[in-house]
Amino acid sequence: MTDITKGAIVPPRSFLSQDAVQLFYRLLAALLICAVLAVLSDSFLSLGNILNVLRQASLTFFIASGLTLVVLTAGLDLSVGANVALSACIAGTIIHKTGSPALGILTGLACGGIVGLLNGIMVTALRIPSFIATYGMLWVLNGLTYWYMAGETLHGFPAGFRQIGSGYLFGLPIPVYLLLVFLGIGTLFAQRTIWGQEIYAIGANPVAARLSGIPVARRLLLVYAVSGTMAGLASIIFLSRLNSAEADIGESLTLPAIAAVLIGGTSLFGGVGTVFGTFIGALILTLVLNGMNLLSVSANWQPLVTGIIVILAVWLDMKTRRRAQ
Amino acid sequence: MREAAVISQPNPLQRIPGVAIVLVLLIALFSVIAPGFLSVANLSNVLVQSTILTMLALPMTLIIMTEGLDLSMGAVLTLTSLCVAIVSLATKSMLLGLGAGLLVGATFGVANGWLVAIIGIPPFVATLGTLGMAQGLSLIVSDGQSVVGIPHSVRDIYSATLLGIPVPVVMALVTYAAFHGLLYHTRFGTYIFALGGNREALRYAGLSPNRLLIAVYAIGGAMAGIAGLLMTARMNSGHPTAGLGLEFDAIAAVAVGGTSFERGNGWLLGTVLGVIAVGVLRNGLNLISLPSSVQVASVGVLVILALFLDGLRSRA
Amino acid sequence: MSDGLPIEVTLPTPLLELRGISKEFPGVKALDDVSFAIYPGEVHMLLGENGAGKSSLMKVLCGAYRADAGEFYHKGERVAISSTADAQKLGIAVIFQEFSLVPYLDIAQNIFLGREPKGRIPGTIDRHRILADARRVLDTIGFDIDPSTTVDKLGVAQQQMVEIAKAISQNARILVMDEPTAALSDRETELLFALIARLKADGVAIVYISHRMAEVFALGDRITVLRDGRRIDGVRPADVTPDQLVRMMVGRNVDMTYPRNFADKPGEVLLEVKGLTAPTGIFDINIEVRRGEIVGLCGLVGSGRSEVARAIFGADPVTSGEIIFDGKTISGEPDLAARRGIALIPESRKSEGLALLRSVSDNLVVSALKKLFPSGLFDQRSAQRTADGLIRQLRIATPSARQTVGLLSGGNQQKVVIGKWLAAGSKLFIFDEPTRGIDIGAKSEIFALIDRLVADGAAALMISSEQIEICHVCDRAYVMREGRIAGHLTRSELTEENIVRLGMHHA
Repeated sequence: MTDITKGAIVPPRSFLSQDAVQLFYRLLAALLICAVLAVLSDSFLSLGNILNVLRQASLTFFIASGLTLVVLTAGLDLSVGANVALSACIAGTIIHKTGSPALGILTGLACGGIVGLLNGIMVTALRIPSFIATYGMLWVLNGLTYWYMAGETLHGFPAGFRQIGSGYLFGLPIPVYLLLVFLGIGTLFAQRTIWGQEIYAIGANPVAARLSGIPVARRLLLVYAVSGTMAGLASIIFLSRLNSAEADIGESLTLPAIAAVLIGGTSLFGGVGTVFGTFIGALILTLVLNGMNLLSVSANWQPLVTGIIVILAVWLDMKTRRRAQ
Repeated sequence: MREAAVISQPNPLQRIPGVAIVLVLLIALFSVIAPGFLSVANLSNVLVQSTILTMLALPMTLIIMTEGLDLSMGAVLTLTSLCVAIVSLATKSMLLGLGAGLLVGATFGVANGWLVAIIGIPPFVATLGTLGMAQGLSLIVSDGQSVVGIPHSVRDIYSATLLGIPVPVVMALVTYAAFHGLLYHTRFGTYIFALGGNREALRYAGLSPNRLLIAVYAIGGAMAGIAGLLMTARMNSGHPTAGLGLEFDAIAAVAVGGTSFERGNGWLLGTVLGVIAVGVLRNGLNLISLPSSVQVASVGVLVILALFLDGLRSRA
Repeated sequence: MSDGLPIEVTLPTPLLELRGISKEFPGVKALDDVSFAIYPGEVHMLLGENGAGKSSLMKVLCGAYRADAGEFYHKGERVAISSTADAQKLGIAVIFQEFSLVPYLDIAQNIFLGREPKGRIPGTIDRHRILADARRVLDTIGFDIDPSTTVDKLGVAQQQMVEIAKAISQNARILVMDEPTAALSDRETELLFALIARLKADGVAIVYISHRMAEVFALGDRITVLRDGRRIDGVRPADVTPDQLVRMMVGRNVDMTYPRNFADKPGEVLLEVKGLTAPTGIFDINIEVRRGEIVGLCGLVGSGRSEVARAIFGADPVTSGEIIFDGKTISGEPDLAARRGIALIPESRKSEGLALLRSVSDNLVVSALKKLFPSGLFDQRSAQRTADGLIRQLRIATPSARQTVGLLSGGNQQKVVIGKWLAAGSKLFIFDEPTRGIDIGAKSEIFALIDRLVADGAAALMISSEQIEICHVCDRAYVMREGRIAGHLTRSELTEENIVRLGMHHA
């Protein structure tokens, strides 16, 4: 048995899984940023600011959580921001027209989901690379949204509806509860269901996944649809938080969402990453942007910093990957 | 070996119909439904308006031939346009403005190439990151405001004519000639085909694919610099969202023009036809009073269709 | 001459001589003290099993690898080969199986890639000269084609000609060819052989790697046999028989048997394929596999064996025909076939069989998720318990179920691929080259495993290029030729000779 001797010389995996170690580093980074900010700015540790950070992070997280699943399959969804804008505008119109927030919420979720499904169809049935298909979708959606809104702004929604984004429960903003709920659901889905396992398998090797009997096309459709639906959910929270809808609200959302996913340790090459990591990623990004805000750095610097963070995060991922191989 | 007989016609000939048909169909459609489309004034307007896009789409063709992508081009153009505006405003010199634009553009190009070639980040993410950076820098240098009052020497570039031909069109023609010569008649051009077609072949020939790749992205950045000058001249100002989404029109033109996203199969003339097709589409929709938002959406649909057909063709 | 072969005494100074070349990779000694000499105007055959060190030797020759130890002599003078440039200077060129051509450049540009004649303007190419130069090179190898034709228009054989032209243009005096006829038709092979004869006459030395016995004897002037990174012997074709060569290559008696308990009576029909035709190039395939049987599917590489396997599994689309499995017609994607109980163990295990960065456990349960977790809820601990069971059952050598599967040896990786279908409870196992790249000890383990599977009531369809394996392991076999079933051999008819006879092009 020559093989057994060969196998034995291979070092076993460490006690803690690689994922756990990576997460630990990221949590540490988040804490470090907190410490620095606490020293630099008096207002950082105020309750109001902390709640504000959590609320901001939750908005990024909603978009990024769905996106995490897409990136886990080695895909990318560049249309999430534009999707939020369109869904918000349509949901807002429905609420205005019917006066029913429930109907509006359903429409927003459905709109996001349909857009996601269309992305999935382009990637699976038409076999267009995901980054370019969703990039095309981004501009289609932008065009549609601007055309639909024709420069108008929707204002003023029912007070009950506004509670979703702005309200508090036991002293915590409601989006934070939603964040916890979806963090739980997302983690359960990715780690504790067979669909989640299949998604990891697809990302790790799509050809092998298909030849292992995984219905790859159907799972990809699901993943893109979920990503779209989460964008729809984010659109509802934006709508309710801003109490208004405009065609351009999605423009600055995509890059931060991608940044959150990548900082969170999800690999662009698929198969590695967690939804919880994305939460940490969203938190780190929000802390950085919040810190800049507290230190009175102009908001104009935000895209620059986000861009740098995206590149650094991918760089880091590639370095750890190269070490692993 | 008498096998030469089975060889079919050169590829570009087979490909002409694709773009040409799209272009002819679009022109036919708008001739019928858009009054004034076929007028000389309008058609020359289409040409002049296509010049900026040409200057982005040609280098984009080279980048896509290397199986790459540059999503930052529009944002870099915005930044270079602002640089041209700010520097020419401060120095009253068009040439210094152009120099600044070129420098900034080429720097971003080199950065893109470095991230893709040396660090190995997939092009769409690397350039998405630099897109954010260029966008941020644009906001920072302009403080979110338009830069106005730029010298006449800059503005006149867009409206001047040379031998009766608008200067931007002359610039686009010169650019095309330069790219044609570069791609089809120089060693560097030969190596661009190899970058997408077979990188190993380059290594065996003792050439460094990484340096070539950086050069290709650098050309893209520099061209964004020159296009930035035209953009500033056209708007008679620098504006922090001037180039928003232009990279998408460039990708659309390349895709419609028949350049394949795989294996280094590029066609510059197709890209030019693709640029005109995008220009005609936007102009025609504008003439029938559809807002620019619909134009954006239809270009999006055009790209998805072109890619779908490209996929079908490469599978066939 | 260190090896002291009598025939070499009479030969002139070698064009290139390698002495004591060694090359080590972590855990593997790819080349161990290999010496051999190449003379002008000879075809030097390089023989050996997979992993014998042929490709390592080739890469050392062309400068892609640096030898850890050993010396090179060029025309009697000591030289160093530490880069591809060094090798090129010595006139060594390699024609790889994967061509180094650029599809959308023309023949002339490909031949002179990196060495283009300079035009008048700096940076430009002298188009007239490059075409004329290319024309001249193509003429010397007798390839009549327009040098401005782009390479993507050429067939495999023509591309190979361009590769050879490229090598000749670099004044190559030593041409290394790696299975050059693997993808060629008979006629193209004849043309290639004619060219080789011509190059020989010009004094070019050719190092030729082949797996085809017929070629070795038809073309070779001398034969060097490698095994486990070591040079076993150097012989002339006239002095050996094919059987002797095979024995040198495998280092054991050819008729070593694999463990197999042949069933007296096969069970009921499990798979029936009727008139299967697919766009991948298979026509009117009729196959039957019964429970308890191992059925071989053989034929030359490229005869459509893998395509049949993929079509049955639903991995490729089907034009017409019927696949009846366990009494029911199936058609659709692999997930359907897998659910019904068909398993495919693909040829390239690393790219198609495994997620290399995931754990052994993840890979073992991936096809059985629905079966193990009918509620849809996944439990890592229960998955690991299943994996541990399979690791014990298949004797997979791994420190734990959490080990990354990419770190296992080839044989153990193959066991993981088989294991994932065991977990799924598959009934029909389609093996595509199950022993490729696996060492001999692990091979018999794999066969014992397949034997146990069918003894327990499953069935197997096995593709193999190693005819010996088919003969020893299979109950019966189908032989394919050019996308069709050329014949069927029962247990008693199953000999290497019969397989070759049916599989050859002009049988």
